[in-house]
Amino acid sequence: MKSLRLPRSPKVIIGLVIVGFFIIMTVIGPWLAPYNPSSTAFAPLLSPSAHHWLGTTSLGQDIFSQLLVGARATMVVALLAGLAATILSMTVGIAAGYLGGMSDEGLSLLSNVFLAIPGVPLLIVIDSYLPVSSRSNFFVIGLIISLTGWAWGARVLRAQTMSLRNRDFVEAARIIGEKRTRIMFTEVAPNLLPVLASSFLFTVLYAIGAYVTLAYIGLTSTAVWNWGTMLYWAQANNAPLSGEWYWFVPPGICIALVGTGLALVNFGIDEFINPRLRAGGLTSRQRRKLGLPRRIRLGLTPVIHSTSKRTVVAAPAKLVSR
Amino acid sequence: MIADPLKTHAAAAATESPLRRVAPVHARHEFVLEVNNFSVDYGVGEDMVRAVNDVTLKLRRSQVLGIAGESGSGKSTLVYAMTRLLRAPGVISGGDVTLNLANEGDLDDVTPLSLVTASERELRNIRWSHVSIVLQSALSALNPVLRVGREFNEVLKTHRKGMTRSQRHDRSVELLKMVGLNEDRLARFPHELSGGQRQRIMIALALALDPELVIMDEPTTALDVVTQREIINELNDLRSRYGFAMIFITHDLSLLIELADEIVVMYAGAIVERAGASDLYEAPRHPYTFGLLNSFPPLHGERRELAGIPGSPPDLAELPKGCSFAPRCPFVMPRCRLEAPPLTNIDGLDRSVACWLHIGGPSVRVPVELSREMSPLRTRFTALEDRA
Amino acid sequence: MSVSTSPAQLSARHLTRHFATRVPGKLFQARRVVRAVDDASLDLVRGQVTAVVGESGSGKSVLARMLARIITPTSGELVLEGTSIPSRAKRTLAYASKVQLVLQDPYASNNPVHRVRHSLERPLLIHGAAKHEVDDLARAALSRVSLDPPERFLDRYPHELSGGQLQRVSIARALCVKPDVLLADEPISMLDVSVRLGILNLLKGLCENEHLAILYITHDIASARYLADEIIVMYAGQIVERSRGTALVDQPTHPYTQLLIASVPDPSDPTSMASRSDEHSSFAVPEIGCRFAPRCPFAMDVCRHSDPPDFIVGEGHTSRCWLYANEPEAVVEMALPERRREGGNDEDMKMSN
Repeated sequence: MKSLRLPRSPKVIIGLVIVGFFIIMTVIGPWLAPYNPSSTAFAPLLSPSAHHWLGTTSLGQDIFSQLLVGARATMVVALLAGLAATILSMTVGIAAGYLGGMSDEGLSLLSNVFLAIPGVPLLIVIDSYLPVSSRSNFFVIGLIISLTGWAWGARVLRAQTMSLRNRDFVEAARIIGEKRTRIMFTEVAPNLLPVLASSFLFTVLYAIGAYVTLAYIGLTSTAVWNWGTMLYWAQANNAPLSGEWYWFVPPGICIALVGTGLALVNFGIDEFINPRLRAGGLTSRQRRKLGLPRRIRLGLTPVIHSTSKRTVVAAPAKLVSR
Repeated sequence: MIADPLKTHAAAAATESPLRRVAPVHARHEFVLEVNNFSVDYGVGEDMVRAVNDVTLKLRRSQVLGIAGESGSGKSTLVYAMTRLLRAPGVISGGDVTLNLANEGDLDDVTPLSLVTASERELRNIRWSHVSIVLQSALSALNPVLRVGREFNEVLKTHRKGMTRSQRHDRSVELLKMVGLNEDRLARFPHELSGGQRQRIMIALALALDPELVIMDEPTTALDVVTQREIINELNDLRSRYGFAMIFITHDLSLLIELADEIVVMYAGAIVERAGASDLYEAPRHPYTFGLLNSFPPLHGERRELAGIPGSPPDLAELPKGCSFAPRCPFVMPRCRLEAPPLTNIDGLDRSVACWLHIGGPSVRVPVELSREMSPLRTRFTALEDRA
Repeated sequence: MSVSTSPAQLSARHLTRHFATRVPGKLFQARRVVRAVDDASLDLVRGQVTAVVGESGSGKSVLARMLARIITPTSGELVLEGTSIPSRAKRTLAYASKVQLVLQDPYASNNPVHRVRHSLERPLLIHGAAKHEVDDLARAALSRVSLDPPERFLDRYPHELSGGQLQRVSIARALCVKPDVLLADEPISMLDVSVRLGILNLLKGLCENEHLAILYITHDIASARYLADEIIVMYAGQIVERSRGTALVDQPTHPYTQLLIASVPDPSDPTSMASRSDEHSSFAVPEIGCRFAPRCPFAMDVCRHSDPPDFIVGEGHTSRCWLYANEPEAVVEMALPERRREGGNDEDMKMSN
């Protein structure tokens, strides 16, 4: 793989920081929580204070603890769903794109069907058939969310595979006698990593939304704390109307932040895939120092006056000009 | 077709061209383009790579200058930067490029314009009407959703505001005829035309406003050899009729020898040799030119093993100290690795070379190999040995 | 057919490949057939280089892929080591171990995410090398293509190597299976000029030292002349002229070959510039008759009505042209510039200034 370049763009850095923060929260959240989130020991509907940073619910539960503990379920389910969906889309998409013919027709049909069916209603239907016990199982929920989220990625991967299929190195692999499945997964798939990564992030984003929606509707087990369940309870107790912002705003913000973070990281991957989206090799600081315009326009190559003559440069700015 | 003889480029150049009325009295009149100590970098600061290093050249009116080189030679970067068309992260880091424009073709009224300091408005005024460029990707430079006639129309409308629609149409037809295409091509889309036809259209577009200078960057590389021959003949014919100067960039040195009046050979961003085409062919001075000429298997004569040049073109980010060709040079001397030779005039003629073999003074003898190799021109090179 | 007396390693007999395409704009019309390769026969002999020269669209690449059996011929047969191979049969691993193909663009034909080591190990493992031998065999392969020391190259990625080096890696990869026949589809056209001869010399060396049969496909007749023991010229899917050695370059008989040679830039021959012509390259290939007839200055009535067969015009030299029907020895020499004989006089070559 090409050497990993540290992302320079501020967008990506912010995104990574946000996502990183929430991953940390997932790991140590329950440990940090001051109280048991289900414990109704406290006075109900307290405003944020030193004892309860985000106040309490109408049942007297500490909201801050709920938030911290809820992070885990939300993030883990979303990540699991993202992973499962990506594996599914990879298998279906690459196979369809590479094999072509009837296999392609069949697999494309499958993914088109899943694409056409609206995700969340399907989830609701599937979920309602689940035995209550498994509604608290992360894996099961993650799996069924992935069932509604894989189709888009499959289409993208199929298109990319089809364009890669005709490349010379795939033909070369065939010429030396490589088997089909090996070509698909050792030659084609590694070239799809940026697309896979992007597809994964996008699916995680979708999964968070789906999970929160399910929880908000009350279809997941209320024994497991997650941000969606918090919203469910808040809504059920008319928190928005009663002005108890400290109950529903924090989980809402967290969900929004995670989504934003993931989207920003996605931008970074886009720039990684397509180097032309990068800042043209000159950072804004460099440009300012040289007195160059903020945006370099085509047809007006900038002119700087350097005094150095032939310099033997050690830096690895690789130039392949042709 | 094949039967008709000969139109050597010498014969073509001898034809009276409209811009030659006035005898040149001033450098401005004689040279349409003057490039002085021109340098181009990619990036700045630590990561900077020098793609064009201190290039000086002059182009006479109605002359063909050929620029030969391989990857990393800087030949394309040079002309794009000269016309300020180089994309980021390219920057011009030194030197000057002056275009001596004859207003309305009148050589008494010549305005020099420095392309390096020109404003956007000035650049826009001269682009296409005085200087046009046929890019390497010319074949895909035509807008696929526009018919060919529309492309011509746009160019004429933008630069010749006074023309009426029918005048523009007539001019388009005239331009097509000029490159040997039928009028009905105006109604076609680019994808309906062959590579050779599209290239002819690009040339016609480049000549639409009767420029003084036409720059062509590898215009025939993607075409087959028969079409290439047709296009080259076309260009020669047009040049003799309209008298524009041409810069022709290619890696195919044997093509340049036929086509160009003067050839500049570039290596690792710098000019290593400059000479008239026939002089270059008969007596190349720089070992790189010599090796390059030896890299084209001949069509006739004895079949013998040729060596080409060992190694490969250098990485511009990691150029060696001293002469950049030293690692591959069969005639390398200790001095070559320490100090880069400057481009120097030699033989008292209008040719220059950047090689210690020819600058050292009377004590440096040209190696026997350089003077005797390369059949079938054995006899030519013995003269070199005497001279050294 | 080749007049070589040694048995051919791989022979093509009357290979034909047609592609059916829809006529654009007409939904229900009969489909047009593109005859990419028509009735091509050739022999590849061990220790010899056979060059196929043609422009894009001449069918040379399709021919190579039919010989490599990654495209199935519409008709015709392949004979490998005397055994005929039915067209409909699948390409076997055994065939792949005998016949290998090297492609044009070294950067495209090497997977950018894999190191050189991986590219060499795969063919070795697929064709039966033992795991512990693979490293040594990979190094040996790199040495055979003059990439020394092999360690410097094994762990590199394709983008870290130059075009010439990477093309050598592609050749090494093909050699790993220990083929008898090496097909090279324009192996040097995407390389820098100064690097090309190195690869050509490498191919020549492999042919002689390892006794391979090499098929060299190119659009550049000069490099074909440099390398080949037999030269074949293709136009619009057909073989129009072939000869042993350099006979067809020194004395081209087919009008297309003559046109080709006259068009090549030849600085040693200043009179080689043909006169101006009007967009001849746009001529479509006719359905009946000789395919070159629309562009041929010597076209006769018979040319427009029937496709000429091969006529013998010299020893080991055939030409598919009606001009030679009655007089096989007559070589039409129009007002072509004097062909330089071997070791000729330099004085005539001074370019007029």
